[in-house]
Amino acid sequence: MSGGPAVRVSIESSCERQVQEVSLDGVETYVPPLSMSQNLAKLAQRIDFGHGSDSDEEDPSRESRESDWSKQEPEEDGKFQVSLRKLIHYKIYSSSGPMKFQPCLWPWDSVRNHLRSALTEMCVLHDVLSVVKEKKYMALDPVSQDPSVAKTPQVFQLISKKKSLATAAQLLLKGAEKLSKSVTESQEQRRQRDFNAELLHLRSQWKLRKVGDKILGDLSYRSAGSLFTHHGTFEVIKNTDIDLDKKIPDDYCPLNVQIPSDLEGSAYIKVSIQKQAPDIGDLGTVNLLRRQPKARPGTVLIHFLISAQNVLLCKEIFAQLSREAVQIKSHIPHIVVKNQIISQPFPGLQLSISLCHSTVEKKNQRTSPDKAKPDDHLYVLEHNLHQLIREFHKQTLSSSVMPHPASAPFGPKRLRLAGPMAYDKAEISCLQHGEGLLEKIVKQAKHIFLRSRTARTIDCLASRIEDPQIQAHWSNINDVYESSVKVLITSQGYEQICKSIQLQLNIGVEQIRVVHRDGRVITLSHQEQELQDFLLSQMSQHQVHAVQQLAKVMGWHVLSFSNHVGLGAVESIGNASAITVASPNGEYAVSVRNGPESGCKVLVQFPRCQTKDLPKSDVLQDGKWSHLRGPYKEVHWSRMEGRNFVYKMELLMAALTPCP
Amino acid sequence: MGVTCVCQVPVAEGKSVQQTVDQLHKKLEQLGAVKQGSFFVDCETYHATGNASGQPSKLLYVMHNSETPLSCMALFEGGPYLTADANFDVLMVKLKSHFQNAKGHKVESRGARYRYCDFLVKVGTVTMSSSARGISVEVEYCACVVPGDCWNLMKEFMQSFLGSNVPEIPSVFTSKPEGLFAPADCMDTMSQYLELFSKVRKQQVLPGSSVR
Repeated sequence: MSGGPAVRVSIESSCERQVQEVSLDGVETYVPPLSMSQNLAKLAQRIDFGHGSDSDEEDPSRESRESDWSKQEPEEDGKFQVSLRKLIHYKIYSSSGPMKFQPCLWPWDSVRNHLRSALTEMCVLHDVLSVVKEKKYMALDPVSQDPSVAKTPQVFQLISKKKSLATAAQLLLKGAEKLSKSVTESQEQRRQRDFNAELLHLRSQWKLRKVGDKILGDLSYRSAGSLFTHHGTFEVIKNTDIDLDKKIPDDYCPLNVQIPSDLEGSAYIKVSIQKQAPDIGDLGTVNLLRRQPKARPGTVLIHFLISAQNVLLCKEIFAQLSREAVQIKSHIPHIVVKNQIISQPFPGLQLSISLCHSTVEKKNQRTSPDKAKPDDHLYVLEHNLHQLIREFHKQTLSSSVMPHPASAPFGPKRLRLAGPMAYDKAEISCLQHGEGLLEKIVKQAKHIFLRSRTARTIDCLASRIEDPQIQAHWSNINDVYESSVKVLITSQGYEQICKSIQLQLNIGVEQIRVVHRDGRVITLSHQEQELQDFLLSQMSQHQVHAVQQLAKVMGWHVLSFSNHVGLGAVESIGNASAITVASPNGEYAVSVRNGPESGCKVLVQFPRCQTKDLPKSDVLQDGKWSHLRGPYKEVHWSRMEGRNFVYKMELLMAALTPCP
Repeated sequence: MGVTCVCQVPVAEGKSVQQTVDQLHKKLEQLGAVKQGSFFVDCETYHATGNASGQPSKLLYVMHNSETPLSCMALFEGGPYLTADANFDVLMVKLKSHFQNAKGHKVESRGARYRYCDFLVKVGTVTMSSSARGISVEVEYCACVVPGDCWNLMKEFMQSFLGSNVPEIPSVFTSKPEGLFAPADCMDTMSQYLELFSKVRKQQVLPGSSVR
């Protein structure tokens, strides 16, 4: 049709307006359309007020006509059937629309009208057919048929069946996939819940905060007042390296933490006091490692963090100590080498503080060579170091910090209260001069050393010397810088009467103060020899005091008593002491001289009358002179019977006392 | 900080302020007191300006004591008292519109500080606008903070070098509602000094006296 000339064929409804007249030349004159009011008047004319509506009666007739028309259709050609019917249908409706309201002029009017319109339709149909016949302007195509209705061959059937089966299978598979996905999701959710629960648990013990998409924790003691510069943060990460298909191990934890590499492993501060200085080449290689206890699976994470925090604290302590060691001016400078600080509290003695930091890998390499060494680690001092750093933290975290006015100059924080509280000079200087960690720990080390050496000296003497016994009563409650011991010197079996020597030794940092029973105070230096000599002289004095006490009990008279005899051989330590006692009837006298070094010497003086070998004097002729004291004779003290000095003395006195 | 008594010692007849002070020093040294540096107490007067109610405005005294070097005391006569840090001086400059410094009224006492066992004795020359007005003696017994417990001891000690010039117990202690047994503090010292200074301010200028 596209190839044909541009001729337009329009098929339109024939009479929209009624033809009034067709003139001879074929011009149709139409009835002009009614206006609204005319139309209304016309409609009003039609109404027969005697009857109901008659339009209802007309409709069935029209219906029947239509059905008549449709009944005729099968008789026509099948190919044109549909289009024609539509066409005619259209014609009938369009023509019958305005006619419906026309008044019935005469009974056959509607019949005639229908016939006429049918005629018009037929004419049109004829025209169309004639045009179609020409095959010039219009062509008729067969009405397209539904292809599915067509019979398909068996191969196609097979293919389609296969295809539909495949679709069904795909659908099922999709469903299964969805199910499995939801299962994994719920599992994932459970694990997520575990993760959250663990995170909550972790949060209850550690400071955590979210930075960006990371969760960072704080290991540092900054909130407790630490000024250490190490940031000490750890990162909390989700533990994802676990196979979902396999069984989840018991010690699985959905959380994992990542700590800075320099805080890994375990660390402690080793404090030891050594007698002789080691070779300078050995410095800084102290690496004593303690066995790490095996952690239980559930608490791995917490232990891990705790040990990391401990490493941080140890590092802080060591950093503080080494800073002070460099700053403090002392007679003997402190040495800081690698991980060791060496200080000399007393001559010939060195205090070494070292930071022992071990990571797990190094552990295997280092354990063997150090095992032979005895562990001289001073746990008390390590503990005290930890306490001191915490005290230091607390100082910086003063709770009573005043607000700082904007106009005020910046000053030391600790002095902030000095003005308003009206501190005087002494209090201010006390505030300003704070002792450092190192000074304190050196003082404590000195004290500990002095105390242990005092104990050793006393024990040594007690085991070496049997006769006067030494008892030491250490007090249980000590200060870090001071402790005391009570030393009693007694003789076995005579504890009740020989209580003269009771010494209170107050051991300080640099010196030992000895308080006698009678209130005398003697200050000894840290030298070991001084204490030993002092105790030896006290023991020698004790013997003489014991004789004095014994004499009282035995009824003897003390003729003379001296703690420090000026005569006789000079003792290298202390002074000899002496006593002379006379028997109750005055016949005999016993003289005892006891020196710390020379030992005891006992002399007995006999009455003159008992000595036969005395040459007769020319002067002392009279008998009364025989009552004069005679010469002294030394007692072979070692040959005397008795288990100790006082017992021997008692025996001697008993022998010299005449029986009543 | 112990119990403190501040008193004014009259200038001996026929002698200058300096001579009287020297005499006191000599007496203390004879007692066995050891000289331990020097001391000063100063006092500045401020007028309150812009007093609308027409009442006679109270004077504000701002004082410093070398014994508490970081503090600054502000007192109204008869209370209230205030202890602050040294920033208070800066604050007073900022409050110029409310408190005006009376320049000519600055009084201070400077002198030597002696220690005799638990006693701290400060003999000072009171000067006002560079003229010596009198002698102040402060005796502090450091071992006790309760005035009632140690007043007799202090009195006896003061008699040993002041002779008949021993004062009565300071009214700061007796006027306290808790009585003599309330602990003494630095404010008691400062109010005694204030009392002394206002007494000195009123008295006539001593003829022929000048600062050392």
